[in-house]
Amino acid sequence: MADLLNTSISGLLAFQRALDTTSHNITNANTPGYSRQITEFMTRQAHPSGAGWVGAGVDVSTVTRAYDDFLAGQARNSSSAFHRADAYATQAERVSNLLGDSSTGLSASLQEFVNALQSVADTPTSTAARQTLLSQAQILVDRLQGYQDSLASFEAQVNSSMRTQADAVSSIASAIAQLNQEISSGYARTRQPPNDLLDQRDRLLDQLATYVSVSVVAQEDGSVNVSIGAGQPLVVGQHASRVVATGDPYDPTRMIVAVQSQHGLADITRSISGGTLGGMLDFRGQMLDPARNALGRMSVGLAEIMNEQHRAGMNLNGVMGGDFFSVGEVGVRLHAGNSGTATLDATRIPGAAGALTTSDYVMTWTASGWSLQRADTGASVSMTGSGTVADPFVADGLSLVVSGAPALGDRILIQPTAWAAAGMDVLVSSPNEIAAAAPIVAGAAAGNAGSGVISPGEVLDPTHPQLRSAVAITFTSPTQYTVGSDPTVHTYVPGQNIEVNGWRVQITGSPAAGDSFSVRDNVSGLGDNRNALALADALSRPVLNGGTTSLSAASGQFVSELGVKTNQAQVTRDAQKVVADEAAASLQSVAGVNLDEEAANLLRYQQAYMAIAQMIRVADTIFQSVLEATRR
Amino acid sequence: MRLSTQGFFTASLAAMQSQAAELAKLLNQVGLGRRVNSPADDPIASVHIRELERAQSESEQIAKNSVLIRNRLNLEEQALADAGTILTRVRELTGKAANIGTLSDADRRSIATELDSRLSELLDLANRQDGAGEYLFAGFSTLTKPFTGGGDAPIVYAGDQGSRLIQIGPAQRLADSHSGFDVFVDIPEGNGVFATSANAANTGSGVIHPGSVVDRPSWVPDDYTVVFTAADAWEVRDSATPQNVVASGAYVSGAPIEFNGVRIEISGQPAVNDEFTVSRSRSKDIFTTVRDLAQALRDTAETPAGAARLATALEGAMQQVDQASEHLISVRSQVGARLSALDTADSARESRDVDIASALSELRDVDYAEALMKMNQRLVGLQAAQLSYSQISQLSLFSYLR
Repeated sequence: MADLLNTSISGLLAFQRALDTTSHNITNANTPGYSRQITEFMTRQAHPSGAGWVGAGVDVSTVTRAYDDFLAGQARNSSSAFHRADAYATQAERVSNLLGDSSTGLSASLQEFVNALQSVADTPTSTAARQTLLSQAQILVDRLQGYQDSLASFEAQVNSSMRTQADAVSSIASAIAQLNQEISSGYARTRQPPNDLLDQRDRLLDQLATYVSVSVVAQEDGSVNVSIGAGQPLVVGQHASRVVATGDPYDPTRMIVAVQSQHGLADITRSISGGTLGGMLDFRGQMLDPARNALGRMSVGLAEIMNEQHRAGMNLNGVMGGDFFSVGEVGVRLHAGNSGTATLDATRIPGAAGALTTSDYVMTWTASGWSLQRADTGASVSMTGSGTVADPFVADGLSLVVSGAPALGDRILIQPTAWAAAGMDVLVSSPNEIAAAAPIVAGAAAGNAGSGVISPGEVLDPTHPQLRSAVAITFTSPTQYTVGSDPTVHTYVPGQNIEVNGWRVQITGSPAAGDSFSVRDNVSGLGDNRNALALADALSRPVLNGGTTSLSAASGQFVSELGVKTNQAQVTRDAQKVVADEAAASLQSVAGVNLDEEAANLLRYQQAYMAIAQMIRVADTIFQSVLEATRR
Repeated sequence: MRLSTQGFFTASLAAMQSQAAELAKLLNQVGLGRRVNSPADDPIASVHIRELERAQSESEQIAKNSVLIRNRLNLEEQALADAGTILTRVRELTGKAANIGTLSDADRRSIATELDSRLSELLDLANRQDGAGEYLFAGFSTLTKPFTGGGDAPIVYAGDQGSRLIQIGPAQRLADSHSGFDVFVDIPEGNGVFATSANAANTGSGVIHPGSVVDRPSWVPDDYTVVFTAADAWEVRDSATPQNVVASGAYVSGAPIEFNGVRIEISGQPAVNDEFTVSRSRSKDIFTTVRDLAQALRDTAETPAGAARLATALEGAMQQVDQASEHLISVRSQVGARLSALDTADSARESRDVDIASALSELRDVDYAEALMKMNQRLVGLQAAQLSYSQISQLSLFSYLR
């Protein structure tokens, strides 16, 4: 009968353990990261007898957790991808909402400026119209700088968020290393899985995956090795690396991600992918930097177009116009690790705004001399010239002069347009200084017998010393003319350009012998609006992007690119959300607690427990019967 | 498939949240009346919207330009009409003065006095300013008084030959004025080919009439002198040094003299060595024409030579006044053509505005019927999700374990 009791007691103990596990499951039904645990039963070693093997009861062999490493890995990867897309899309939405508003938009400000220019063309002598143009110019500059400031503040947010996230990654890494130690010693002690510790560690890995993509390799002692991004080891056994956000070697205000080791900091920014950290870096590289450079290129284009035409005009004081806008210089930044003394003087080539790209460049001193690459793609860019003042390097609209002694591997970052908008200003301060008139005026002599008509004239070289000197064009016959006091006889071709003293006119029709035309200083022509119209025309000419894109098209493109990128990011996020939810649900369907299931288990184990209690009663009854029988 | 309790709650919540988010987006669209609120909503449409808004703003500016140029052209038109009226009066006075036999020198002087005041009226008109103080007929030099002089001083043009262009369409510009040079100065002299006049020192009673062109291709532009070598013989000489004799003949009063394709008539009795000129047409400004006329009327006509000079001057003046009137009419017709071009441009702009507005509305504005229907759908969906969640979440085996 002892066997019967022993067997029953083994059952009582086993089902108590099972009930414990069930209650653990029920109480942790809402604990994040908790995996449901399962009590595994095993029959006890049976006793041999002449009549065969007699069963001896039940044992609990182990308590396992319902978990699937493959599903967990999938859930983690898709969560990384989702958090990357989500971080990118969230930032992108903010940028495009801020910069894409049509009422405060760039194209609206640009058109207002052109309209103000038209108003000056309508009434060139009106101070009010001129004042309005200056205000609109200031508004346009403010708008460009406002955009630049917004982008800069987004970058500052990216920087501070990188710092927070790098800290989070580091603290998670050290917590994982700590758990690795506890788990491996737990295994060694009991040879049983420490389920709750495993859950905790998996939950930390899940959290890590929201910051950056992770790959996990399980070790035999129960610990895991974790690497992030493109294989950068983060946790090896019980040792965790420290990840920090630190200043870019070109620009200390811009953050990069680095791993701290005994050799110092190693930049791992390029190998970071996935997670919110990857999303932030993507946002900065794919949206902020190109947008800032595109904005800068527009500013350069605007200033160049306006300045060139404005210098060709005459202002209300009767003198030639000056520059209208100033823009920021080309950014040149030496790498902090440079050991040579090389410095670089980079300028934009006047009139070559069309050749500027929206890329930054890195110039490197190699064994075969200086070489230039695009900073974003690393593609090599060819340069002409030799880099001296007399013969500068020329590439993509830039003129580069190097000086000093470089050391091998020294690098210099060149930002052709990044700071252009920030340094923008309106240089014309008084309404009278707006050059709305052309400096020359052409006319026919009174009583010309022929039907010749002279065009109003345009300025080719505003700096020509004789530009505004009076010149007569006299026809010696209907087909021949002389210019000024020069006796050279030219053959008349109707509509052909006549270029003298830095200006150009055309004569059409049939002039008669003795007819004459004059080109002279327009100093009294204060009501002239030709240069104002030329300015308006110039603003609609395609100058950017190799002469294919006008300013207004560029401002439209600027916003549409933001829109397209944001839209793509949103679509990616939505798609990744579905994938991530699906993967999480798959894991949950294996690991999650179902209360109905637990209620059923509770009933099952309770009934088994009651049945075994009944067994003990039976054993007792049998024993009493035997006692009763032997009393007599 | 197994479903974890937590998974069920999470999934139900996520479903409700996404329904609510869609609902909020629709509500925002309906509230603002805009379908595209951010470039990300529809990048392609948002580029078009921006371009259309730009075109709208440009069009508003062009509408302002149009009002301005119409005002300027109307001012010019008015000035030209006034100048026409003055010239008509000048022509009347010239005709009146031509009755040499019946009018005395004093009568003519009073006509001259009236001409003087017509002249100053004409001068005021040529120096007319618009509301902003800009001279109408100064070319580009709109702040410089274009015609100076008057009284005894000759009237000279101080402006230039420019004329401002104003944008009246996306790719259309129109001149808003004519320069004083074009309107008052550059008027062809005589009949446009040549002009005739008598030498002031003539002593005979010969009168030269305006003449006409009979063979245009034969005309050689030059300044010719008709010299009477005898009382009944004339020679036409050119301006070369020494002069060449181009034609010569016997003089008969009133008989045509033809040379180089032109025909002139001289009547009366010129004296020997009297000279008449037939010069190539240059230009003669309207002020000099009136001034010369007034001057001629002040000289005596009570000698035969004086009467002849006056007759020649009057005939020449009559022709020149007619030239000026015709010239003004042609300038006025150009102004009319500009006004009509402006009308065309205005109506084109208005219809373009309507097109832009409707395209913009199509791209940007929300279709309320559609949006409200979608909203209703979403609302039903959300309510269903909420209801099913509250029902299903009550199902638990524990409810039966009592």
